[in-house]
Amino acid sequence: MEMLSRLIHNYFYLAAIILFVIGMHTMLTHSNMVKKVIAMNIMDTSVFLLFVAIGYVRGGKPPIIDGIGETLYVNPLPGALILTGIVVAVSISAYALSLIIKIQRAYGTVDCDEICQIRGDE
Amino acid sequence: MALAEHLPALIVITPLSCAFMAPLLYRRHALASGYMVLLSLLITLVMSALLLLKVNREGPLSYQMGNWSPPWGIEYLADPLRLYMLVVVIAVSLWVFFYALKDLEHELRREVIGWYYTLYLLLVASMAAMTMTNDLFNLFVLMEICAISSCAIITIKQDRECLEAGFKYLILSAMGTGCYLLGIAMLYMVTGHLNFEYLQNELSTAVAIYPLNVFTAAALFIVAFGTKAALFPLHVWLPDAHASAPSPSSAMLSGLVIKIYAFSLFLILYQVFPRSLLDSLPLSEIVLWLAALGVMFGSIYAMMQKDLKKMLAYSSIGQIAIIFMGIGLDQRLALVGGLYHIAVHAVTKGMLFMAAGAIIYATGVRKISDLAGIGRAMPLVLAAFTIGSASMIGIPGTGGLISKWYLALGALEIGRSLFVLVVLSSSLLNAIYYLPIVINAFMSEEDFAHKVNEVPKMLQLALVIGMIFIVVAGVFPRPLILLLGEAVANFF
Repeated sequence: MEMLSRLIHNYFYLAAIILFVIGMHTMLTHSNMVKKVIAMNIMDTSVFLLFVAIGYVRGGKPPIIDGIGETLYVNPLPGALILTGIVVAVSISAYALSLIIKIQRAYGTVDCDEICQIRGDE
Repeated sequence: MALAEHLPALIVITPLSCAFMAPLLYRRHALASGYMVLLSLLITLVMSALLLLKVNREGPLSYQMGNWSPPWGIEYLADPLRLYMLVVVIAVSLWVFFYALKDLEHELRREVIGWYYTLYLLLVASMAAMTMTNDLFNLFVLMEICAISSCAIITIKQDRECLEAGFKYLILSAMGTGCYLLGIAMLYMVTGHLNFEYLQNELSTAVAIYPLNVFTAAALFIVAFGTKAALFPLHVWLPDAHASAPSPSSAMLSGLVIKIYAFSLFLILYQVFPRSLLDSLPLSEIVLWLAALGVMFGSIYAMMQKDLKKMLAYSSIGQIAIIFMGIGLDQRLALVGGLYHIAVHAVTKGMLFMAAGAIIYATGVRKISDLAGIGRAMPLVLAAFTIGSASMIGIPGTGGLISKWYLALGALEIGRSLFVLVVLSSSLLNAIYYLPIVINAFMSEEDFAHKVNEVPKMLQLALVIGMIFIVVAGVFPRPLILLLGEAVANFF
């Protein structure tokens, strides 16, 4: 019961992990390359969600010091880190998508299984 | 001198800034662009060597990016261990680039060669930074640069095989970094630090309060770096990627890229996780057993290959496993052996891929069965192949013996003779698939059946340099072993 209430209390962690598993599973099991790239993005985004959620402090304010008394601040660092993470994820997906275009031109399909068949026949 | 204190940053910046000048210059003066890249790598090598000397004299050096002190800013650490890896990375990439200058003209379309230089320098810069960084998140960013550029030096060839292999590599490597980032999140959650040193201090108390977080992070790191370094059974992407790439790329990927990840995992295991955690969790045991399986299966798969470059690629799986064994045995001598093997195997496998590249350059032959009698047609290239094979097997007088020797000594020291057997059988298995090629090349009754073009002088010179290094590493290993022995002493 304590476990359950803790899970409900921290539902954003649970959501992030579920998304991560969905992303990873799709990435490894689906044969369609475009779906793989989408799954890769889901997986990355789930980690970003988790990271940003770590920085959140319940009842915290934005970390701008205005000199009026002691208040509880939200941790700004994870947000800054994830900005970098997003840029990295965008460049990886751009590169992956451009590869898919090239693969489609070379093989006429974007399905991994079909490509395996084509290469097996050669 | 003021410049001297910025050496750690300059070592990364020099290749990085030249990376974007190379293609511009290439449009006007193709030759000058190539030599500029060569020069920038040479300067980087000199700076790394200077830094190593400085650190040897004055002790470890911590460099703070932008003068932000550690818990907040990014710290680069220059200690003998990291600098050893740095010098290996830069020296091998300089050597491979020397070979690439001539070989690329043959393998790539002219208009992309300038861009190849960019990717190559980006790869070198990211690996150089990965050796020195002391910050988990910075390591993540560098890993992604490394992943993109190493995929791109495969797919730049743009034939069907390369594209497919490159995509497979990219997806699995993205899975690796995803796991790694999740692992960082787990550790950041409980400690609030990203710096190795601060993490280690915090973790020794945090483990008791949040054990699950730390265990999950450890598991995720092993999966992440295992995928990227092709630790068995996460190696599936490697053979296609390394075999289909242009030869200089194969030499770089097999020689350095997989090792840099093994080295990063080693740093994380020993410098981030506190010793008490390493003793209570069977982390090194897991790495050790996977490595032992990798040694066996990598070699067995290699035996079944008909394509020369594919065989070399599978053999890399067995050899990276030797390095992982050195890490997993968790013993000083074994660790020295594993780290020594990083340098030895980088040169050996780089040279074998270069020799294979030279064979393809001159004759176009890729199949092992077509190589009968080639030794009489191309004596120098096959001599290099022979020395490389000898080092793979671990014949006395080559570097391969020394690393396996120390690995076996370390295993015996802690009474795990089973792993001595694994090391020995690795040598035996390597002999089974390398020696027939050599014997067939020199002793075959029939003459080589294909037309042989001349191998350019630069390619030959690169091979000669490799041969010299392997023999020197086998005959005079003492200075390096002493350096490594001291560098890892404080881990035990």
